Parts: sequence; structure tokens; C-alpha cells
Amino acid sequence: MEGKTKKRLSESILDKFSIDFLRNQVLKNAYGNDDTVIARLDPRILLVWYLFMAIVPWFVDDLWFLLACFILVAATTVMARVAGLVLFIFALGVFSQTGYLFIVSLFFGGNASTIFPLLMLTLKVATCSLASITVFSGLDPDRLSNGLQWYGCPERLSFSISYAYRILPMLMEEFQNILLSYRLRGNPPSRETLRGKIRYLAYQVKVVMLSFYPLMLNTAKRSRTTVEALEIRGYRYAAVNKAVKKIRLSSLRAGANDMMFLAVSVFWICGAVLVSTLI
Amino acid sequence: MEAVRKQTASQSQKLMIFVLTMALYGLSTLFTELIPHYQVGVVEFSVEYFLFIPLTLAMLFDPMSAALGAATGELVFSEIMLGQFGGLGELEKFLTVTIGVYIAGRMVKNPRNYKMVGIAALTGTGLQLLMGTVVDIMKVQFAVEDFEAVAGLPESVFATEGFAFLNDFLFSGILFCLLPTLFLVPKLYGKIEPLLGMRPRDGKTYLGGVNAKVVIGCVIGFAAAAAAELIATSGMPLIDWEAGWAESSTALAVGLIAAAALAVIVIAAIRMKASKGQAEAK
Repeated sequence: MEGKTKKRLSESILDKFSIDFLRNQVLKNAYGNDDTVIARLDPRILLVWYLFMAIVPWFVDDLWFLLACFILVAATTVMARVAGLVLFIFALGVFSQTGYLFIVSLFFGGNASTIFPLLMLTLKVATCSLASITVFSGLDPDRLSNGLQWYGCPERLSFSISYAYRILPMLMEEFQNILLSYRLRGNPPSRETLRGKIRYLAYQVKVVMLSFYPLMLNTAKRSRTTVEALEIRGYRYAAVNKAVKKIRLSSLRAGANDMMFLAVSVFWICGAVLVSTLI
Repeated sequence: MEAVRKQTASQSQKLMIFVLTMALYGLSTLFTELIPHYQVGVVEFSVEYFLFIPLTLAMLFDPMSAALGAATGELVFSEIMLGQFGGLGELEKFLTVTIGVYIAGRMVKNPRNYKMVGIAALTGTGLQLLMGTVVDIMKVQFAVEDFEAVAGLPESVFATEGFAFLNDFLFSGILFCLLPTLFLVPKLYGKIEPLLGMRPRDGKTYLGGVNAKVVIGCVIGFAAAAAAELIATSGMPLIDWEAGWAESSTALAVGLIAAAALAVIVIAAIRMKASKGQAEAK
């Protein structure tokens, strides 16, 4: 049993470095679904919708209302065709936030009465997370950052979003190359016995830590190049200039589709309120 | 004129530090977000914190830019990119990471001094974890109504949160924050600064230790973080609001539904007309 756990442990540490898989999933999540209904909606409308879905459920303790919200955001998540990995992380996150708590409270003498408040909490957490999955991974990063900027978010944030999506594949590739070169030159300890396995695991972790040394130096060079290129184009002046902002945001347009989306959402939520008042 | 030019240069260097920390820490948080956590007995093995990256950079460069970069990187790479964005609640993590990294960065005067680097790394990590734990306990206390009444819940919350804190601090704190920082800071010192066109940190470029101003700023930051998290979670302030609209809620709901249904029909009609017009035009 002990050995099995250790084996699983070292395997999981190895598995996570199939960086190609991670890169594919992230890129798919970011750019792979431009053609969905959600991706074509106006980012400003979606952000308003998100604010409602992320805030209101926390303040309502009505089961019908929460269920309706949950069904709505689940439907939009399906419409946004979110990558599988993201949904898996979502499930894990919800469990670790509330399911875990439930199991522990059973140990401390809790019973079925513990379930109900925790079910409410789970519904709330799940609704908020799914709403954010819909908006933040359903939307194109550039549209998202435009939408955020329209609401007066700092330019720094929208720059970070656009930059992050572009730099990430490169960074991942570089990290993988460094890691592979360490492996090529390294001499890992044998992992026959239990002690060997632990030492092997420690060796792997050490290699990851060491890889950050060249990565930091390389990224420092790259970020200097980036900032210098930005300066040449007058980035810091343009970031605070109103005329530039207006030109940049002129492509945003809210149409009939967006209104339809909002109206259907409002209709659905009001229906839930009606049901909950009648019952 | 000279002073003005100096100012702009340091501004763009701050942007460089920001971009550097954001990219590196963002990448590492992406890994930690994607890695499943493993539990052996009661000890949870997780590579929870790659916090050594911003800690290292904050000790070598301007701490504020590094701290903000780290927090933004985490927000953008692991929350927004993966669609895990938690709204107002994210403000808590943003602020606690910023405070922890900033304080650690301010504490180090000479990056070659192993002892100080180690103490600063542990202080930064410990502060960040401790603030997170306090806010987490408050969060559950407010979110679940009748916190005391639910059997076994209060003890379990204190036990799990307290244990998680100790586990994170002893395991992740020492293995993943202290050791790599001790290794990286002296090694990078004097090598990475020229790449950004800066002088290495010494007596002249050092900002000064943690003083009252920093502490007050951090306390305000933590209060804001806790407040944001509680507003995001608590159901308390809106009880009045709910009672207010519950009186004639059926009538109100019917009215709202009618309005929404009307809107759906009107917009559908407009769209039909528009598509018809397009078809005719063709």
C-alpha cells in the first residue's frame, strides 16, 4: 500500500511534465473556440452578465433561485465549448472547497444536517466558477481585454492578459527545452527500492527548481526586449491617452444577439424567482 | 532635466520587472493549478508554492513591481486563462501575495547575506499563508448560516485550516520557498541586473527596511483583502434587501417575467425582420 502510494506520487510528478499536453489545452482554451455563440457576444454585455452571476448568488439563500442560476451557467458553459481540462479543474476545485469540508465535518460528529448548508455553499461556488469559465475562457483574450478596458480597468491589466496569451506558449517551450537538457546531462538515481524512489522524486523536483535559473535569465532578456519595443511605439503615452483608447475600443459593438442573450437570461432568472415565490 | 530622464528610465525598468515577474510566476502558477494534489496519510503533498520566483526577484529588484507583477501574473495566467476567476474574492489573493512578496523584498539589504535572505523568504511565505488562513476561517464562518449550530463544523474548519497552514508552511514553505530562494538569490545577484540595464542592489539602491509606513500600508491592504473576501462571501448585508422585496414578490416577479418575455419576442422579431431583409437584398 505504502509503495503503491509512493509510486503514484512519483508517477504523477512525472505526468505533469508532459508540457505539450498542457500547452495544447491552454491554447485550445484560449483560441480554439472563436466560432461559438458565446465568443461572438459583446464582451461588455458578457461582463455585466458575469458580474450578476458572480455576485447575486452569494446573497440569496433560495434553493430554486440558485438551481436556476446554476442551470443557466451550465448551459452557457456547454455553449462556450470549454476545454476538458478546465472543466476537470473546476470539478476538483468545487470538491476541494466544500466536499472536503463535508467529509471532515463527518469525522467531527456531523450528520445529514450538515449537508444542506454545504449544498447551498456548493451551488453558490459552482455557479460563480461556471460563470467565470464561460466568460473568461469562452471569450477571445483580445476581446476580453478590450471589454475590461472599456469599463476602465487599468491598461496594465489588459496588457497583461494580451501579453500572457502570446508569451505563454514560448515560455512553456523554453522551460521544456531547459528541462530536457538537464535530463540529458543528468544522472538520475536508480528507483528500484522505496528509498531510491524517494530520492528519484527529490531529484526531479530539484531539476525543476534548477531549471528556473536559466529560465529567469532568459526571461529577463526577453522582458527587456519587450519593454523596449513597447517604449519605441510609445506604449506608456498611448496607455493613458484618451484618443488612443477610443480608437482601440471602436470595434466593440453590441447588437441584437447580445440583447437576445441578456433578455433570455433575465427571463430565466425571473421565472425562477416566480417559481420560488409561488412554492 | 537629468532628474526627469532618470525617472523615465526607472519607470520602464519597473515595467520590465513587472513583465518578468508576471511571466515567470504566471507560468509556475499555471503548473500548480494543473497538478493534482496527492495525499499520503494526513500530509498533503503539493507543489503549492512556486513563490520562490517572486521572492527572489523582489529581493534583487524593486519589490513593489515584483510583488504587483506576481499577483497580476497569478490572476491572469492561472485564474483568467483557465476560467477560474472568482470575482471579488480574487482581490484577497492578489493583496496577500503582494504584501507577502513586498515585505520579503524590503527586508533584504544585501542579497549575498544567506541568513537575511532565508529569514525574509520564510517571513514572506508565512505572512501570505497566515493571512490566507485567517480570511478562510472568517469566510466559512460567514458563508454558512448558523455556523455554530451545524454539528462538528466549527472544529473541523479550525482543524483543517490550521493543519493546512502548518502543512503548507513546513512543507511548501521550506522545500519550495526557502531552499530555492537561498540557492537562486546569491547566484543571480550581479548577473540578472545587467540584463535589465540596472545596478545590483547595494547600500545606495536599497529602499530601506520595513518601517511603520510599510506596516500600516500592509495592514490596510490586509483589511481590504479580508473585507473584499467577506463581501464576496457573506449573506448578511442583503437579508434586509431580500425581506424588502419579498413582500409583493409574486407580483414583481410576474411583472419582470412579462417584461423579459416581451423583450425576447421583440428582439426575435427584429432579428427575423433583419434576416428577411438580408435575404431579399440578396
